[in-house]
Amino acid sequence: MKINDVARILDGTVCYAGEGPGRPVRHVVASDLMSDVLLVDADDMLLITSLASDQVLRTAQIVGAMGVVVANGKPLPSTMAGIARSLGIPLVTVPLAKYECCVRVHAARAEEQRGGAA
Amino acid sequence: MAAPPDQPGHASAAVPGDTGLAAADLAAEPVPGGESSPLVLLEMIHRLKVRDVMCTDLLTLDRQAPLKRAQELMRANNISGVPIRESGRLYGLVSIDDIIRALEGGYIHEPCGRHMTTHLIVLEDDMPVSFALRYFGRYKYGRFPVLNRGRTLVGIVSQRDINRVLLRELTREVERLERGHKGVNVGLGEGDRLYMLCEYPVVKLDFENAGKAANEIKILLRDRHTDPRVTRRIAVAAYELELNMCVHSNGGTLTFLVSNGRAEVVAKDNGPGMADVEWACRDGTSTANDWIRSLGFGAGMGLPNTKRVSDTFEIRSTPGKGTTVRAGFALQPGTRDGEAPPA
Amino acid sequence: MTLRELAAACQGEIVATPGAAVAVHAAYASDLLSDVMGHAPPESVLITVQNHVNTIAVCTLADIRAVLICHGRGIPDDMLAAARREGVALLRTPLDQFHAACRLAALA
Repeated sequence: MKINDVARILDGTVCYAGEGPGRPVRHVVASDLMSDVLLVDADDMLLITSLASDQVLRTAQIVGAMGVVVANGKPLPSTMAGIARSLGIPLVTVPLAKYECCVRVHAARAEEQRGGAA
Repeated sequence: MAAPPDQPGHASAAVPGDTGLAAADLAAEPVPGGESSPLVLLEMIHRLKVRDVMCTDLLTLDRQAPLKRAQELMRANNISGVPIRESGRLYGLVSIDDIIRALEGGYIHEPCGRHMTTHLIVLEDDMPVSFALRYFGRYKYGRFPVLNRGRTLVGIVSQRDINRVLLRELTREVERLERGHKGVNVGLGEGDRLYMLCEYPVVKLDFENAGKAANEIKILLRDRHTDPRVTRRIAVAAYELELNMCVHSNGGTLTFLVSNGRAEVVAKDNGPGMADVEWACRDGTSTANDWIRSLGFGAGMGLPNTKRVSDTFEIRSTPGKGTTVRAGFALQPGTRDGEAPPA
Repeated sequence: MTLRELAAACQGEIVATPGAAVAVHAAYASDLLSDVMGHAPPESVLITVQNHVNTIAVCTLADIRAVLICHGRGIPDDMLAAARREGVALLRTPLDQFHAACRLAALA
């Protein structure tokens, strides 16, 4: 599952798609506390958050996340798209609540593991 | 008689107050003029507290005093509001509007206590000026009484007071910049050969740039093909230390050094320093207040996290002076002395 | 969902219960209290790591019936006292927010 798949599953809009083919989702973290995100020792995580701030992208870069989903349809600060680009972190904004995002992503990953379409 | 207004105007979520405004809501509101303000101005309005700008030279009356007295005070001193205070407690406020109504209604000789405004929005003296500015933007009042933690009336603040102090601080800031920055002592041991040294200034509460240094350090390490696991740990330490300095200190410098097989992230700040270093290094302990938390920071994990990811960790602090944290990392096991780390 | 079902679904434990039966009809996951106040559905369970007394205050304002603290975080005494006082149920789970959300969703 790549970032474009995530955007589709969550009825989201891609603000920055990233360069090249993009990395697959290997792990999912849903959190609004960036200090907690820093504790997760996993590569290529998909970060789902309600926090719409530059700090989310900076944290994502530090932990090597493969992408960021901002939930709740929050309008993003004008700086975020530019920072996503400069740090190379794909960014998607979705209208759904974080809870709903978790449910859909989990279902899609389970489907993928069973051999269905991503 | 009405009880003194007891809830602060910035009612946090834990204390539903008169205004019903949560600290988080106010924090989310844009600071008036914030988008176009120079960084140093933003830093100032975040750093300065209401007590730094308020007027403490208060003319007040007690509840028994006649409104006429309030009118005289206003005229003689060119003020637009008289707080009604007894034994330090604020009971209400008499404004020019109240006087006009009293004159029209023919009750100018009645006691202030009977006609004063009691539904007041008050500020707390340790609230940042940036927060207070949101109140000026939100409400039509020109001034706000200021209470301390003990709910004693300690001052009154108007937009004019804020402007006056900002102008003064800006002048000082310009003078400081003109005198130039001081260097940072990085303190390498004997025999160390330095391969890389990067210094990043960290400005207090500069959320726009917070984390940028850590991002750059990560890119530097990645470009030099450093082991990804070590890179991640260094990046996390740098980020935590940088954010810590940004949110909790008066600002400082983040330095990144690479010497023989070793990397070090040094965070040196200009205060306030801390008395109990051990307390600060424990999970969940934080000096962050509600409004910092509402912005997503202040969970109290910064120093403990840094300690966890570093190979060596050292922290020194002098209250009133500042704190220096050094997080050390072995870059490659078995790197020989004098040899550059593998590119 | 009852408290017992919630706890069982996410390997959790019930820390405080208001006595009367608690029924929860929705779930909301967020660690930003201002976001919770603005968007959490009423009669819901809040999935969060925010283990402090302000969370309980927000629950009373937003008619949230229960709080599920994730990541095995501890419950401070003042939060427990506030939960008891305000009649908000309190649960803990060792799972993170993502996995807790998925388990709860499987219940509904």
